[in-house]
Amino acid sequence: MTTPATAVELPAKSPPSRFTIWGSIAAVVLTVVTAITVEFSFLEIVENLFRRNLVVEGLLRPDISQIWSERSARAFVETLQLAILGTASGGVIALPLAMWATDFGNPYPALRATVRTFNAVVRSIPDLLWALLFVTAVGIGVLPGWLALFFFSIAVVSKLTADTLDGIDRGPIEAAQASGASLTALLKTAVVPQILPAYTSFLLYGFELNLRASAVLGLVGAGGIGARIEFFRGRGEWSEVWGLVLMFFLVVFLVERLSVSLRRRLV
Amino acid sequence: MTTPQVPTRPVDWFRRVGTIVVVALVLWSLLDLEIKWERFVDLPADVWRVSVLMFGQMPFSETGKLLAALWESISIAWLGTIMASLVAIPLSFLAAENLVGRPIAWVTRQVFNLLRAVPEVILAIALIPIFGLTPMAGVLAIAIGSVGTLGKLFYETAEGIQPGPIEAVDATGAGRLQRLRWGVLPQLLPEYASFVLYRFEVNIRASAVMGLIGAGGIGNDVAQALRFKEFGTAGLGLVIIILGTIAIDYLSGRVRRRIIFGSSSASLLKKPVAVA
Amino acid sequence: MIRLVDATVEYPNGTRGLDGVTLDISKGELVVVVGLSGAGKSTLIRAINGLVPLTAGELYVDDRPVHQMNRRQLRDLRAEVGMIFQGFNLVDRSTVLNNVMMGRLHHLPTWRTLFSLYPSADLDIAAESLERVGMLERAHSRATALSGGQRQRVGIARALAQQPKVILADEPVASLDPPTSHAVMQHLQSINHSLGITTVINLHFLDLAVTYGERIIGLRDGRVVFDGKGSECTPAVFEGIYGRSLTSGDTLSDEAPLG
Repeated sequence: MTTPATAVELPAKSPPSRFTIWGSIAAVVLTVVTAITVEFSFLEIVENLFRRNLVVEGLLRPDISQIWSERSARAFVETLQLAILGTASGGVIALPLAMWATDFGNPYPALRATVRTFNAVVRSIPDLLWALLFVTAVGIGVLPGWLALFFFSIAVVSKLTADTLDGIDRGPIEAAQASGASLTALLKTAVVPQILPAYTSFLLYGFELNLRASAVLGLVGAGGIGARIEFFRGRGEWSEVWGLVLMFFLVVFLVERLSVSLRRRLV
Repeated sequence: MTTPQVPTRPVDWFRRVGTIVVVALVLWSLLDLEIKWERFVDLPADVWRVSVLMFGQMPFSETGKLLAALWESISIAWLGTIMASLVAIPLSFLAAENLVGRPIAWVTRQVFNLLRAVPEVILAIALIPIFGLTPMAGVLAIAIGSVGTLGKLFYETAEGIQPGPIEAVDATGAGRLQRLRWGVLPQLLPEYASFVLYRFEVNIRASAVMGLIGAGGIGNDVAQALRFKEFGTAGLGLVIIILGTIAIDYLSGRVRRRIIFGSSSASLLKKPVAVA
Repeated sequence: MIRLVDATVEYPNGTRGLDGVTLDISKGELVVVVGLSGAGKSTLIRAINGLVPLTAGELYVDDRPVHQMNRRQLRDLRAEVGMIFQGFNLVDRSTVLNNVMMGRLHHLPTWRTLFSLYPSADLDIAAESLERVGMLERAHSRATALSGGQRQRVGIARALAQQPKVILADEPVASLDPPTSHAVMQHLQSINHSLGITTVINLHFLDLAVTYGERIIGLRDGRVVFDGKGSECTPAVFEGIYGRSLTSGDTLSDEAPLG
């Protein structure tokens, strides 16, 4: 036991312990300042929501006749295919990209920094922005959509994979290094088997996200059901818009059910 | 003596079938989509051309205006996330089976699932006719879109509360409010704060997208610039989006780590302590 | 100090945690309770501070009838009974000091505890408790930064901060390694000797029970099957309590034989 001073006194309090207080204050201040910036007004929200408008009326009477329309059906299939291609192409590249950002997968610091920067940049650009950029570069159609989803998938899957790689067991890696294996052999035998179940699960998750993203790509002209939604929105035909959204929900729901049961089998 | 044979590997049918299905789907997509393959060939040249236009001559005089727009995007994301949290926290208690019982919890959870399924962009284009091309449309779209995810994270945490610390508070003779403050909240609040910050990071990207369709923020400036072929401005805007997002990710990540793990300096002692 | 008269606790599924237990523990005694898991040790400890109510029988702590108390009275009772847990049950992300101050929760108005504004008198009590377990200089460390033994000492300090008349310890060393277990038991023993606080400890390891328990109570199927001095405990006695022959899992250190 330690020897006390003459009176038992608590040691002086160190400043960092007030983190919670300062953090909460900062959060409140931030909220107030941002509210001013966007001219937040509760009154306005309530007023606007209760006015008559086409959007809500369309929502209450959705028109699902589009299910019979060949164009819309084609657009749905396109959405699905874009999601599949995007996930497959981007997801595959995401694995090496994630591994090359780690210290054991990339022994050259400069190269590692480059890969990490590339990953960070790719992850900072949202899906629709990718789409807009590629539409600008190559014109409208499904190609920019695929390219956008390619990068989007890299962003999603590589982030998840990288986080998992942070926590893997280094033991097998050490063993492979000790046996003098080449980098590729090391990755293939010591790393990939460890993360394969998680990685496949991430691919499935990425597919779900891709599906949702590809639905809206059409809003900027990059293919999929988004174009049809935009078509009806432009004409103010909200019943049709909500009808399409409802059908889209159904597809997403089915895919999610399937994905969840598949993912359970993997883990 | 015969040499021992390695036994043949049993066939994993699940894997085999799975792989075949996936490959088939990919090939089907590839061939069925109406991809103009000629454009594929031109792709590198096109990308190069646009990149030069966008990053070759960035009008740095526009930086101020674009930074202000970035701040608007950050505001939209932050407000949307906070609004969603304020709604999601009480709702999440209605979704915790250990608090309200199975039926009510199930209903609330389905509400969360429904909200999670809607892409925020769809919400935004529905809200724009109601609120106009203003940031408020973006804030609400993000708020509604985040309630589902946050609610799910919140109730899962609420269900995982440990009874031990709560028992400890009871054992000191503390009252109900103190039990909440010292037994329940310390287990919940740090996790909740961390989820909110994480969602904020996600929503920064969403708010850039909100801007692309006109609901305010820097996405708006970039989309406009591209429409009017002001590629330099668009390029600068893109760079600012990238740098801003990375910066927010980094800061938010630091704060989250501090919340969950505490500052490392507080745990290091200058003087040695007696063992055990 | 603690008196049970034909106390019974029956759980909804029919099992009896306590079955007609009659016990008398005097002020200042250090009692160790042993028995198999499910024999009633946990139930006994939690019955004493009312966390588990009696189904039948009587229980008096400090001559107060616990079996008749309402919520308010139970809280007042618990304020005078300190409890130490196997899992420590600290608030992980709080500091050591805040954890110890939880021992003063009952004595402080709610608003003070909501905002952690503690009067200096209570801080002094906390400081003394920490000093007694040797954790004073870690007062501002986060609980997560401590080892198991250190956390349990904070748990003891928290119980001490209540300035209790009784200390209950539910398997306080089950999660700790041998040297740490002995250190913690020594803290409990010295607190009992110097402050005269009645102490009841559940233990799993029989060698620890014999070393530190002046009086040992053996429970089996909710009934008291042994009540005597540590010196009377031979392996045969323990086998009677357990209903089976002893294994190496019943003692903390492998080499020291019992008895």
